[in-house]
Amino acid sequence: MSLRDVLSPYTAWKHLFEAPVTIKDPIGREAAERYRGFHQNDLSKCIGCGSCEDICQNAAIDMVPVSDPKTGDSGLRPMIDYGRCCWCALCVDVCMTGSLTMSNEYTWVDSDPDAFRFTPGVDLKSWDAEEKGYKRENNERRLTGTHRPEMGMLEPEARIASFGEIVHGYTRAEAVIEADRCVECGLCVATCPAHMDIPDYIRKVREGDYEGGLKLLYETNPFSQTCGRVCTHACETACAAVHEGDAIAIRWLKRDITDNVPRERYFDLISKPDVPETGKKVAIVGAGPGGLTTAFDLARAGNEVVVFEALPKPGGMMRYGIPEYRLPYDVLDHEISVIEKMGVDIRCNQRIGTDITLDQLKKDHDAVVLSLGLNQGRSTRVPGSEEAESAIDLLRRITAGDKVPVPKQVAIIGGGNVAMDIARSMARLQRQKHGEVGVTVTALEDFDHFLADDEEVEEAREEGCVIYDARGPQEIVVKSGKVAGLRTWKCKAIFDAEGRFAPKYDASDEMVHPAQMVVEAIGQSADISLLGAELTEKLEWNRGRIRIDQNGRTSEPWLWAAGDLVSGPDVIHAVADGHRVAKSVSAMLQATRETH
Amino acid sequence: MMKDLIAKLKKHYKLTEPDYRRADLTFVTAQKDELRSLLIALRDIEGFTHLVLLTAVDWLEEGLFQLTYMLNNRAANRTLALRVMIPRANAVGDTIHDLWPTAETYQRELREMFGIDFPGSPRVNDEFILEGWTDMPPYRRDFDSLAYSLQTYRERPGRVTHDPREHMKKALYPDQKPEAAK
Ligand code: SF4
Ligand code: SF4
Ligand code: SF4
Repeated sequence: MSLRDVLSPYTAWKHLFEAPVTIKDPIGREAAERYRGFHQNDLSKCIGCGSCEDICQNAAIDMVPVSDPKTGDSGLRPMIDYGRCCWCALCVDVCMTGSLTMSNEYTWVDSDPDAFRFTPGVDLKSWDAEEKGYKRENNERRLTGTHRPEMGMLEPEARIASFGEIVHGYTRAEAVIEADRCVECGLCVATCPAHMDIPDYIRKVREGDYEGGLKLLYETNPFSQTCGRVCTHACETACAAVHEGDAIAIRWLKRDITDNVPRERYFDLISKPDVPETGKKVAIVGAGPGGLTTAFDLARAGNEVVVFEALPKPGGMMRYGIPEYRLPYDVLDHEISVIEKMGVDIRCNQRIGTDITLDQLKKDHDAVVLSLGLNQGRSTRVPGSEEAESAIDLLRRITAGDKVPVPKQVAIIGGGNVAMDIARSMARLQRQKHGEVGVTVTALEDFDHFLADDEEVEEAREEGCVIYDARGPQEIVVKSGKVAGLRTWKCKAIFDAEGRFAPKYDASDEMVHPAQMVVEAIGQSADISLLGAELTEKLEWNRGRIRIDQNGRTSEPWLWAAGDLVSGPDVIHAVADGHRVAKSVSAMLQATRETH
Repeated sequence: MMKDLIAKLKKHYKLTEPDYRRADLTFVTAQKDELRSLLIALRDIEGFTHLVLLTAVDWLEEGLFQLTYMLNNRAANRTLALRVMIPRANAVGDTIHDLWPTAETYQRELREMFGIDFPGSPRVNDEFILEGWTDMPPYRRDFDSLAYSLQTYRERPGRVTHDPREHMKKALYPDQKPEAAK
């Protein structure tokens, strides 16, 4: 053994008075700047989507109720079990709101293991305001795509030349990209009036299982083809994805399913359930989306259902209100044929009061459902308004193929979607007849408070319509018995301090829009004259509307009221209403069967 | 300089189109049976004396593992990453511990985390960082981390979670699902 070997342990002694490398007590030692320590959650930003829980590979997260659910926020917040957390930060990376972050705090001693299970942001901790730690870099590190594929559409030049459908629908590749962005949180479902199974059918798109997707759509909505095109898509406002980019194109994905199932397959996939006939008869007045949804449900439950429609074809507003370029007639025809296949008997040209009486319906059926559209246009009642056309009436005549006057200049009063519909329809007719467009739209609202959808306004402009905001109609100028123009004043305010409709004008800012036709598109009402004096007298009313319970039942036990008559002109609301009414009618019929 | 090197190598070896990631970093895929000879040429002739790392990628859908050998030429400050693809089933790579002793450690890690064997590599079957591991190698993409953690680690009692959609339904529209059709 050499001397060196003997002495070598002692050479270590030279380190005796140096600072040790290891730390005796690590508590209190600050971690690196971007260390992944205990979580922080900004409760006001978090929407309770649960993506953090879903992605966690250690099942460390539970979603727990913290506040009341509201649009786009479940009110749940993540509670983390640090007995399981491995500090991987996947939950931070997936969080679309950026609410979830990690502090660089990692040391904490407690003898109670349950102390390490808490809800960041709710259970206050010393590191809640810590700046250091792990965040998504500039909020740029994203696990999901942020933008929806642009929808293919006809160019304005091609659009205006015909009433052909504008929107092409997604290609398969586009649909997959879009479906892939959905995190399946389900926050949107509460906002959809019909509570459609949105994340489930988006999954079907992703998987390419269109037939399964179609079945799912029909569980909540027999007008999925229509809604896939013209739905007001309130769901998209509640979508979690808006927090880092575009909302998921829920409407277009629904359309993608309906477009990808061959029409004849619908009849196999949506077959009538094998239920015994109830022997009950139900009459439905009005073949709009609400009435036909009620009919669909009640027929599938084994009842005999007859729908009475005053106009020559079924569909209500979907046919006679929404222009063909947004919802082609063959799509609607096919959609309604699926409903008829359930055994629903639709009788057109049957006007209540003229062709058949409500009394008769009551006598022949166990229940009667009034599902009336808002098919009477409201009037401005300004001087000359008796010479004005009504938008809703004009749209109906265009659909019916009637010859409508098409002057070179048309002025429209109104700023909602119906105003855009008639503006764009008249623009097409003008283009056919005169080779050019001459449509002026005057809306009471300013552009910041506009009623029509942005895309409607933009497309109308692209097609050559001129849109003025904050203009109030004063007079329809009539010269020697003919409409010559529309006189408007600048609108300064629409509502008074109490929120009542009381427009104020600036008379010094006057315009006269030259026009040989003025169209009023300022709202619609239902024609309730068909009820007849006796029934009108008997029914309970609430500010001009029939009083109904939450399921659409009127004060008369045999009569239900639904559709636009009750909740406004929107297909998906009508569908939701239709379901509710069907359920209520079913329950009543069931009860009478049991007592007899 | 990298372009010249690749051109020169291509005269003797089958290489794919290189990916010039940065001025000082190039990726290229080589043939499995030419790997050893390529590595020796790079080390002894071209000055790539340092093995920066050896790692793998699981191309589950293609049924392949990718082995990436990253080499560095310190003098020229250049890095070349050689990729070779090997079948995923019965995955076996050629050991290079005799070329670079550090490869022994990388190969042990790949054996444990991906299940890729390197016959002849010292201690290749010894545990590396996982102790008493009995499941599928965890870096394989078909390893289900969540299922593993659920069956391996005990759940603290008293945990309850809520599905956002169901929770909102209960609070906002408890019985509004259309049932007439069902
Ligand atoms: S992912 Fe983010 S927004 Fe969603 S629940 Fe978790 S913390 Fe909240
Ligand atoms: S850091 Fe990782 S393990 Fe911990 S809660 Fe988040 S996702 Fe789960
Ligand atoms: S569409 Fe949006 S809100 Fe709905 S489940 Fe998908 S990501 Fe969530």
